[in-house]
Amino acid sequence: MNWKNVLLLVGVEVKSYRTVRGSSFRRFRENRLLTYALYAVACIVGVLIGWAVGSFYSGLSDLSQKNLLFQGATYFFISLPTLALLYGLVFTQMSQIQRIGAKVSVQPLYWFPFSWEEHTLASVMANALGAPLMITVFACSGILVASVFFGLFPLAVLTVLALLTSIILASATTEAFKTLQVRLQGAVTKAAGRAAIWVRLIVSILVFIVFYGVYFSIYSNVSPVSLIESVAGGQKLLWFIPYLWPGMALSTFVSNLWVEAIFFSVASLAFIYALFLAAVRLNVRFGLYEAPSIRVSGGVYVPRAGFLGRLGFSPLEAAIVKKDFRAFTRRGELTFIFIFPVVFIIMPLVSAVREPLPSTFPYFLYAYLTLLPGALMAGVLGSLIVGSEGRSIWCVYSSPVSARSLVKAKYSFVALFSLAVTLICATVSGLITVPSVQIAAVGLIEAVFLVLSLAMVSLTFGIKGADFRESLPRPRMIRTRWSLVSMIVCAIVGLAILSPIIPYGLNLIFGSTEPGLAMPVFASGGYLYVAPLISGLIAAVVTYVFRKMALDSAERLLVNAESMEG
Amino acid sequence: MTYLPAVKLTQVSKRYADVTAVDYLNLDVGKGEILGLLGPNGSGKSTTLKMILGLVKPDSGSVNVLGINVEDDAVAVKRKVGYVPESPRVYEFLTGLEFLDFTGDVYGMGPAEKKGRIEEFLRALDLEGRQGDMISSYSEGMKQKVIIISAIMHRPELLLLDEPLSGLDPKSARIVKDLLRQLASQGVAAIMSTHVLEIAQAMCDRIAIMYEGRLLALGTMEELRRKARMPESGLEDIFLKLTGTGDTRPIVEALLK
Repeated sequence: MNWKNVLLLVGVEVKSYRTVRGSSFRRFRENRLLTYALYAVACIVGVLIGWAVGSFYSGLSDLSQKNLLFQGATYFFISLPTLALLYGLVFTQMSQIQRIGAKVSVQPLYWFPFSWEEHTLASVMANALGAPLMITVFACSGILVASVFFGLFPLAVLTVLALLTSIILASATTEAFKTLQVRLQGAVTKAAGRAAIWVRLIVSILVFIVFYGVYFSIYSNVSPVSLIESVAGGQKLLWFIPYLWPGMALSTFVSNLWVEAIFFSVASLAFIYALFLAAVRLNVRFGLYEAPSIRVSGGVYVPRAGFLGRLGFSPLEAAIVKKDFRAFTRRGELTFIFIFPVVFIIMPLVSAVREPLPSTFPYFLYAYLTLLPGALMAGVLGSLIVGSEGRSIWCVYSSPVSARSLVKAKYSFVALFSLAVTLICATVSGLITVPSVQIAAVGLIEAVFLVLSLAMVSLTFGIKGADFRESLPRPRMIRTRWSLVSMIVCAIVGLAILSPIIPYGLNLIFGSTEPGLAMPVFASGGYLYVAPLISGLIAAVVTYVFRKMALDSAERLLVNAESMEG
Repeated sequence: MTYLPAVKLTQVSKRYADVTAVDYLNLDVGKGEILGLLGPNGSGKSTTLKMILGLVKPDSGSVNVLGINVEDDAVAVKRKVGYVPESPRVYEFLTGLEFLDFTGDVYGMGPAEKKGRIEEFLRALDLEGRQGDMISSYSEGMKQKVIIISAIMHRPELLLLDEPLSGLDPKSARIVKDLLRQLASQGVAAIMSTHVLEIAQAMCDRIAIMYEGRLLALGTMEELRRKARMPESGLEDIFLKLTGTGDTRPIVEALLK
């Protein structure tokens, strides 16, 4: 093992996270200070919090309170490695999922004189950098300082070691899993044949649904204290799981079981080594992996007039819409867009299952599910749709696409897609909450106005701030400041469109529970006929103004190919 | 060959910050002519092609393509042009067939014409059998074939080709070269940027040599030989002499030390 090679490779991995600053895509400026400053800030914040907690403990005069806090601190120290492992796994796994072309991040430059051990170790170390290491630095500095006041310094030192062990465990697991994941994905893709695209899309969505479902069911309405208690107790029960051995080493140390403490410490290190060896073996076997080709059709070509043609789209505009639809169902890094509505449906439903709900909750849930997912989809999709072209934007630049056609095609895709989401969510919420026909119709009409306007607003900023770079960890698609501007303007426009209906909604939700808030003028059924008309007028004006702006931006985009291409 | 300018560049210049990419360039290309655009890296060839297509706006001068001022109506120009960019990226999530179908729709081809042209080209360039696969699984050469088909299939009047033969196997390269010759004989103009001087010498009616954004020389092989005062030489020697990079021996010797 050549450590110089390992450090060189870690350096390359670190650089893959660096960001390009400034408006010129050709210029690159690395902010090393910022990279290290974040770790320093984590350390300083940790020390300050540790000192504050320690001082609070020292200042306590009530002995029972002091004992309680001491007990809590001990529990916290013991459970920290397992918690760090859980968070470490989430962070490192999510960052790997985010990386486009897992193939790119997995494959080393095989013609360089590096061994698989060096490559794997560098990858393991690099996985731990960033958020996992920052949290570890924060936690370690905090507990070391606090432990001096609590008189738990030896335990704190062991906790720090266990924390580092847990982070490396998470990282090594990710490394092994990453290679296996790419290989399995390839095998499934190959076996699925023509259905590969749909299998890939559905599996990606299912993975996210399961992840968010589990995440929300664990973390919603769970206090940190009960979480720590359950982890501290749980790891004793499940001691045979190797991932819990760093925590077990601490637990047995606190109980003065020295032999067991040494056993779990050594066993933890052995487990890391075993995981590392497994990751190396997997890399040797599958590291240089060639993705199987996906066959979508048999090759018999039948030109179709298509549904869009009948709707008045020119063949060029229809071709762009069809191409975008295929992009969002086939490009792995874009499938996250499908997760939005799913998460928005899951979140309130998990809460609804866990807590007693007020009687007005169905109204809230109907408004929430009918209005929000579609509007968010329009806001996000519109801002990304142009930048998602990536470097293939030259196909658009070199084609006879006018600004008008480009805006029409992109807007139609965003609007149609978001309207479909709105319809699905409105149907789901309608089935759950069973609103009156009038409320259901008004909710749906408002949602449609919202989607049609926000699609144009976000598309305008998506064109202005389009970012065609395809750098890791994933394509940016829109520059950060334009993304922020888009979000803020979308929020303002959304509120403006909904403003006529908001008083009625507030009346409905709070009128019965808070009579002081009741506004009879807005509570009448007649008002429900007027409000959508006003909303529609606002939406039409907004859409018209932003369409003009989008056309101007598209004109500029099409004649400034050189500066935009990056 | 009747000399009708398909492309006319008049006093065209383009600067990027402190770099002059193209410096007051005058150039015309006739219908049915294949012009080779040569020059070292960074000499302004790709920028020139992009300005002809309306992808880059010149700082000064005018670009006229097939009777249309590019600044006035770039979309109309693009309708008549086929473009093969340098290091292109295609939509890798589409199949070869879907990409060509997309191209046909973009250029307004009818269904029957599209089907016929796509099938002919796929057969000619040995892509049959792989047209239903996603482009992400294609080799670089196969991707290049798809791009060449997409540039030619709509019967353009002008072809702008930036290293068109890179990555192609010998058979496909030969087909593309013959195809270009045939298209030229039918009146299609072509501007081909390349570093492969043998190809330029064999295929082009005239050759333009650019250096640091300026046009160093323009003419047939004979005219270039006369200009360089190298009557028996090939294009490589002429090119190296005109661009001032002729004597490479000291460099090679220094590298071998």
